[in-house]
Amino acid sequence: MLATNNKYVGLLYLSPALLFVAVFVLYPLVQLVMISMTSESLLGGGEFVWFDNYLLAFSDRSFWTSFWFTVRYTLIITPILMVLGFLLALLTMQNRALNQIARGVVFLPVVIGLASSSLLWVWLFDQQVGLLNKALVDVGAIEQPMVWFNRAHLGMTAVIVSVVWKVVGFGMIIMLSGMQSISHEIVEASMIDGATYWQRVRRIILPLSARAILLATLISAIGSMLAFDQFYLMTGGAPRGQTFTSVYWIYQNSFVYFKLGYGSALSVILMVVIMAGAALQIALQRRGESA
Amino acid sequence: MPHVELKSLSKQFGTVEVIRDLSLAIEAGEFCALLGPSGCGKSTLLRMIAGLETVTAGNVVIAGRDVTQVPPAKRQISMVFQSYALYPHMSVRQNIAFSLEIAGAPKAEIAEKTQKAATLLQLEPYLERKPAQLSGGQRQRVAIGRALVRDPEVFLFDEPLSNLDAKLRVQMRLELAKLHQELATTMIYVTHDQVEAMTLADRIVVLDAGRIAQVGSPLDLYHRPENKFVAAFIGSPAMNFLPAAANGGEGRAVSVDLAGAGSLSVETRHDGAGKTSGTLELGIRPEHVSPTAPADPSAVIDGRISMVERLGNATILYVDTAAGNIVVEDESESEARIGDAVGLAFEPGRSHLFAADGRVI
Ligand SMILES: Nc1ncnc2c1ncn2[C@@H]1O[C@H](COP(=O)(O)OP(=O)(O)OP(=O)(O)O)[C@@H](O)[C@H]1O
Ligand SMILES: [Mg+2]
Repeated sequence: MLATNNKYVGLLYLSPALLFVAVFVLYPLVQLVMISMTSESLLGGGEFVWFDNYLLAFSDRSFWTSFWFTVRYTLIITPILMVLGFLLALLTMQNRALNQIARGVVFLPVVIGLASSSLLWVWLFDQQVGLLNKALVDVGAIEQPMVWFNRAHLGMTAVIVSVVWKVVGFGMIIMLSGMQSISHEIVEASMIDGATYWQRVRRIILPLSARAILLATLISAIGSMLAFDQFYLMTGGAPRGQTFTSVYWIYQNSFVYFKLGYGSALSVILMVVIMAGAALQIALQRRGESA
Repeated sequence: MPHVELKSLSKQFGTVEVIRDLSLAIEAGEFCALLGPSGCGKSTLLRMIAGLETVTAGNVVIAGRDVTQVPPAKRQISMVFQSYALYPHMSVRQNIAFSLEIAGAPKAEIAEKTQKAATLLQLEPYLERKPAQLSGGQRQRVAIGRALVRDPEVFLFDEPLSNLDAKLRVQMRLELAKLHQELATTMIYVTHDQVEAMTLADRIVVLDAGRIAQVGSPLDLYHRPENKFVAAFIGSPAMNFLPAAANGGEGRAVSVDLAGAGSLSVETRHDGAGKTSGTLELGIRPEHVSPTAPADPSAVIDGRISMVERLGNATILYVDTAAGNIVVEDESESEARIGDAVGLAFEPGRSHLFAADGRVI
């Protein structure tokens, strides 16, 4: 009697959260999948077309070009973010006043909007007035101020620089929380055992913050797979659509070409790929831990 | 030459002085306990010996070498932490072998030393387990094994048994004593548990607020405390302290007046102490007071029992007297009941007199 009662009471407690998830996650998701099976246009209309959009997507060269570009971007920027974040966390691990200031400074750009920071960097990279070009010319790294956004790899480099500046603090904070949960005495025990600083980092701190590193990697990789603002504002897809990311291409289809149904199908494909990637990463970590 | 020597050590955290001008010499092979109440600086002192805490002033000498500026790994010490501080991601074997592996010892040597430590500490069945899969006592043994394989000059222990339950603590205490007998390595052992210190140590250093209150053998501290702090800290139930007024004496004997009692002659430690005057405190341990019939000629003071605790092997009586509450430990199976009137006899030669500044006279 009491047990059944408790079950309903428990559900009652959960209901606000469940309602929130239903309204803001489940409903849009179902809606997305439904639209993806229609030929709906942004202007309305359209009919149910079953899996036509998905079949179309698999032969859409531009989509797969944008997809592989996004994958490449993710594979390049994630290690940079994680290594830098880890080193910054390591550097500011002790709770000294100077470290706390340093953490604050590194973390500050995280709370700026990505769009604002991208615009900021557009100006920094500008050929005419950009500080960066001037600095590079002054130190003699280049002879002429250069245009950064007319070649794909330079455009990607510029985006990576700006995004690293903006989000490196996020990974740092997550890894910092992992490192600070390691007991002081464990680190001290390894000091007595004769481990040098880097041996301590490799044998004690790195494995014991593995979970925080995985979390930071997942969040960061998913964020990169969903990259849009930075490319939209900095490269505009130039040159010739070579710096279109997946989401950018979905945006183009949905809101520039008005093909809402098709854009939705692409979104569903991207979501499934990202979820599979995340699941694989977590599974690998689990196996590593139990070994 | 002492094996570990602390010369005028001081430690400040900001403006707070935690260790004050402390000097101590520990002989090779000695089991030395650092004993004191919580917050008196025991851990800080041990960590300074280990090199985990910087020294504000003074020197640490280990095996004839000044190691004040030497990092922990090069001090030839091993330390066992209160929390065990085992590496949670490594197996027992890896935990024990870690220091050897770091030092680049040959594989055969690592295997041999690990095996030896595991055998000595009965850890062989658990070598492939992770620390989380061990009981408290087993974890403690792994921590000791990890300290053992380094062949240190000195073992440092920081309250290694305080996370164990009472029964296991007694068992591990015996194992530690056996270990010390077998290895005969110098050991410095921090504890706030006087029973641990008394049973394990050759010599006890009692710390009071960062200073040494007294250094001596367990029985020395028990029978000849040099000050009220040590007298009160050692022994359970704690020593009774009664206000006393000195009124003359002869040689070492001082005659004191206790409230509600007659004059009492107490033998002091030093010649000429008989000339002491003024307000003193008389200290006597509960086991040196025995109940008698009220107004018995041997009774020093009369009182009324306010509480009785029967422990089986002894009975603790709390007696209200004109001089204050006196705790009595009666070895016989006492028939005493609350409210009974009793006389209290003091065993001759067992009373201590403390001056107003707490020092024994
Ligand atoms: N890092 C620190 N910064 C400031 N004060 C400290 C620090 N470490 C210890 N102290 C202070 O130094 C004093 C002694 O601490 P310590 O840890 O040596 O005590 P302890 O005798 O080991 O006590 P316990 O029996 O509780 O472990 C305490 O008052 C403590 O607050
Ligand atoms: Mg302590």
